[in-house]
Amino acid sequence: MRFLRADHLHVKAIFFAGVVLLFAAECSAESVEDVIKKVVDNLNGKSAVMEISMTVKTRRTERTMKMESYSIGQKKSFIKVLYPGKDAGITFLKVDNSMWQYVPRIEKVIKIPASMMLQSWMGSDFSNDDLVKESSLYDDYSHSLISETDREYTVDLHPKPDAAVVWGKIRMSVSKEYYLPTKVLYFSEELDLVRELVYKDVQSYGDRFYPALWIMTPKSADKEGHETRISVSSAVFDSEVDEDYFTKRALKRFSK
Amino acid sequence: MMLLNIAFRNVITHRKRSIITMLLGAVSTALLVFSSAWMDGSHQQMIKNGVEIYSGYIQITGAKFRENPSFDHLLFDVETLQSHVEAVQGVQLFSPRFESFVLYSVGEKAVGGMLTGIDPEKERSISRLHASLTAGNYLTQNDTNKLYIGQELALRLNVGVGDEVVFIGNGADYSFAADRLVVKGIFQTGLYEFDASSAFLAKPYFDMIMASDNMATHGIVLPENLEKSETLAAAIEEVVGVEYQTASWQQTMAALLKSMKLDSVFGYITLAIIFTAIFFVIMIYTLLVVYARLREIGIMRAIGTTPGQILTILILESSILGFLSVCAGGLLGAVFAYYFYLHPMVFSGMEEQFKQYGLAASAIPTAFEPVTIVRDMLIMFILLLLSTLYPILKVNRYQPIEAIHHV
Amino acid sequence: MYRMVLRMAWASLIRRTTRSMMVVLMICVSLWGLLLMQGIYDGMTEQMISNAIRSDSGHLSLFGHGYRLDPALDKRIQGGGLNSTKLATLLDHDSGVASWVGRLNQEGLIATAHYSRNTIITGIDPKREEIHGNLQNYLIQGKYGFGQSGKGAIIGFKLAERLQVDIGSKIILSAQDLNSEVTSIALHVSGILKTNNMGLDESGVFIDINIARKFLGVVHGLTQVSIMMLDDKHISDMQSSLQDILPDLEILRWDEMYPALMQSRVMMRGFSLVVSLMIFGVAGLGIFGVILVSVLERIREFGIMLAIGTEFGQIRTVVLAESLCLGVSGFMAGSLCGGLSLWYFKIHGLDLTLFSDAFEEFGMDAVTYAIIRPEYFVTAFTAVIIATLISGYFPLRILRKRKPIEIINEV
Repeated sequence: MRFLRADHLHVKAIFFAGVVLLFAAECSAESVEDVIKKVVDNLNGKSAVMEISMTVKTRRTERTMKMESYSIGQKKSFIKVLYPGKDAGITFLKVDNSMWQYVPRIEKVIKIPASMMLQSWMGSDFSNDDLVKESSLYDDYSHSLISETDREYTVDLHPKPDAAVVWGKIRMSVSKEYYLPTKVLYFSEELDLVRELVYKDVQSYGDRFYPALWIMTPKSADKEGHETRISVSSAVFDSEVDEDYFTKRALKRFSK
Repeated sequence: MMLLNIAFRNVITHRKRSIITMLLGAVSTALLVFSSAWMDGSHQQMIKNGVEIYSGYIQITGAKFRENPSFDHLLFDVETLQSHVEAVQGVQLFSPRFESFVLYSVGEKAVGGMLTGIDPEKERSISRLHASLTAGNYLTQNDTNKLYIGQELALRLNVGVGDEVVFIGNGADYSFAADRLVVKGIFQTGLYEFDASSAFLAKPYFDMIMASDNMATHGIVLPENLEKSETLAAAIEEVVGVEYQTASWQQTMAALLKSMKLDSVFGYITLAIIFTAIFFVIMIYTLLVVYARLREIGIMRAIGTTPGQILTILILESSILGFLSVCAGGLLGAVFAYYFYLHPMVFSGMEEQFKQYGLAASAIPTAFEPVTIVRDMLIMFILLLLSTLYPILKVNRYQPIEAIHHV
Repeated sequence: MYRMVLRMAWASLIRRTTRSMMVVLMICVSLWGLLLMQGIYDGMTEQMISNAIRSDSGHLSLFGHGYRLDPALDKRIQGGGLNSTKLATLLDHDSGVASWVGRLNQEGLIATAHYSRNTIITGIDPKREEIHGNLQNYLIQGKYGFGQSGKGAIIGFKLAERLQVDIGSKIILSAQDLNSEVTSIALHVSGILKTNNMGLDESGVFIDINIARKFLGVVHGLTQVSIMMLDDKHISDMQSSLQDILPDLEILRWDEMYPALMQSRVMMRGFSLVVSLMIFGVAGLGIFGVILVSVLERIREFGIMLAIGTEFGQIRTVVLAESLCLGVSGFMAGSLCGGLSLWYFKIHGLDLTLFSDAFEEFGMDAVTYAIIRPEYFVTAFTAVIIATLISGYFPLRILRKRKPIEIINEV
């Protein structure tokens, strides 16, 4: 009996050590690509239904809008404006790289042409293009780890040679705890800082974590004092989302 | 005095020479006067067109607006600004405008362009929008969603009077703005770029949908005296202060000015070539006549007339002829200038060319400026005089005996 | 007999050297000025036209039916009887065609992280464009071509200024492809162009046509075919014969695409003509005066000659010979000076960069190269001859009316 107890302890110790070592090996084997992939997955999910409020601040004014959004993966998304009253019922549809808008006041579906893609979306500091292309972080960039702390990775994303993105570089800080971005800096090709996107206030939604507050701040001189805040008031991930939302018919149908 | 008499007598005696010299002198003067009137007229027309069609003689914007035309740098209290500006001596009118970039959509088509809120009544005096009407009707102050659209833009969207055009864009508070508009009138200024990208609404209605009440992207000032735009702009700048920038057309349309200078240069070079030929011919004629009178001059020298006196007589002759021809030519040129001032010349078939140079109309009036006409006459007088100088000096070098014996 | 006539004419002219010299100088200087003016103005106009032709329209341009009114990819030249391959064969085998190129155009957006601008994207074959219109001569920065990968872009200089890009800068082009889907592509600026064709300089981007095809999803077809003829006199004929073979296409001459340019040319020519007439009219007046005086001076001589039996015709010959001598000497002197200065400006160009801003506003080059046409000299020569003959005519009429005895008896 005495012998067995000592062996048991010994084996347990070896086993435990082995597990720890294996675990450590797993950690250090995690590549930057994996980190980014996780971030993208965490930001999108298989599907997402959210209620959002967006506040656009300029030096003179401050406006708040409320919207609900439905998306499947990164390719399809539907947004409906709920508030303020004069904008309520405006809907947006994005499928692959195309974007449509329905405006109930004028009862018209308009397809956003290429020349308008860089215009601001609903007066915010996001462009139409941002809504269409936000998911390309994994595919269009090569990633390199710049630094690491206990809590964060800092990753530089460089556009791949053929990637049709205007940025020269994106620097992303990723929380190790949640694999969610904390701060994203967008640089021009000459490496001027053009804008900064901060993700804050991580909440749990079902079995996922998600930043409930996004703050976009343009950094160019002509947009001094501008800021756009998006706060997520509710989010449901990976549920069944009706495919009907992602048709042109939907723009008008679901506008009410 | 006696010399003058002699000079007169000589002029009258040698009629053929006098007539031909005067004819040449008169024609040159008439040509110079008319060409100047024509060049000045066409330049003034170019300025008027460039400035008056839309951009205005004096523009007031927020101080930072010119470099950075965003809604952060608008004119924010237009009413107060207007009262200050209209109080300045020399200002006839101040009219605010709000320009915004929008997406127009008709059917499946979506085209980007400008949508501008204007004061339709004031615009009648300040710009040519009203005068460029080609179909439908111009705007009135209380028009609502009635659109006044440029010809080429209407073509692109494939709309006519009464058709509907939808637009989406951002209001002055960056909020989303959209509306259904009905085409009330179509205009064609002749400036292709402008006609292909501009449309207008009455500002009261525009302000309502674009949240731009009492705001403007810029204001246009109509001076009482168009020539004094630059000084008036400076005066206004003094009054309104540093948060605004006041610019006269000379600053906003510097390229137009330069191209006019260029045009003048070409014009004067051409004239110079013609005048050179004339210069020589007058010199030749003077030479002929003076040589024909060599005996006469020689005798005068022999009886004691000094070379100085001979010189004086000959120069007086040239002056008399010059003076008479310049007066006759100046009058002739002035008459033509005045006629075409009242009845501008029309160049049919040259419209395309004109459009390229920003001249919307192909009728060009000449300018009629008495001061310029007198200036031209003076210039011609001096040139005519100079052209006779060489023969006169040459002849004066002859010794009396040589002269008398000249065959 | 002609030798004697010439000797008499020469002697008469030499007798009054100053006078004769002045007439020759007058014709020489006026002609010099006139030739210079014609050559330079002509050069300016033709340069403007040439820029438009070389960089865009060619002598003839072909478009798909309805494309000019509504430039959409689905209205390009393709299929339907005579597709682009057949067109290619047709043009390659036509002996009057100097060169032709096909292009693929689409309007879109060009963007960097800071700025974006509307643009017209044109897919070209750079080697063919080189032969076609010497497009490479318009390059002011960078290299002519799209690099090894074909992922280069050549943009207009004004556009480059607005976007604040340089050689090597990354630009993103976005446009609607054949299926109306918005598509984007990343390219690098490989060259910057100054064509003085304002549309191109302010909003034009050239890319490799194969890249354009992939980008826009257009496998076959072209939006524009530009043709250069060997002889520009055959342009209209080519236009009608092509229209017969290809009734569905829109076939336009350069002056139909740019009527303003043709009007420039017409105006320049008209203007030159008027000025020439004025100058030769005035010069004729000068010659007239001199010949008149010369005849009147020797009227006794002529009277005696007539009295002793010289035929009037012979005297007329002498007088006209004098007149012609003056005219021709003036013409030769003027042609020499004018021709030499024109030749200088043809090679070195007249630098008007002092006014370059104004020039750029209207799409003209600041350095103008003069043109020399034989017409200038032929017209001038004809004008001089006519002027001298007419000028000689009147004094002779005056002489003819007088009776020899009266002349001799005059004091």
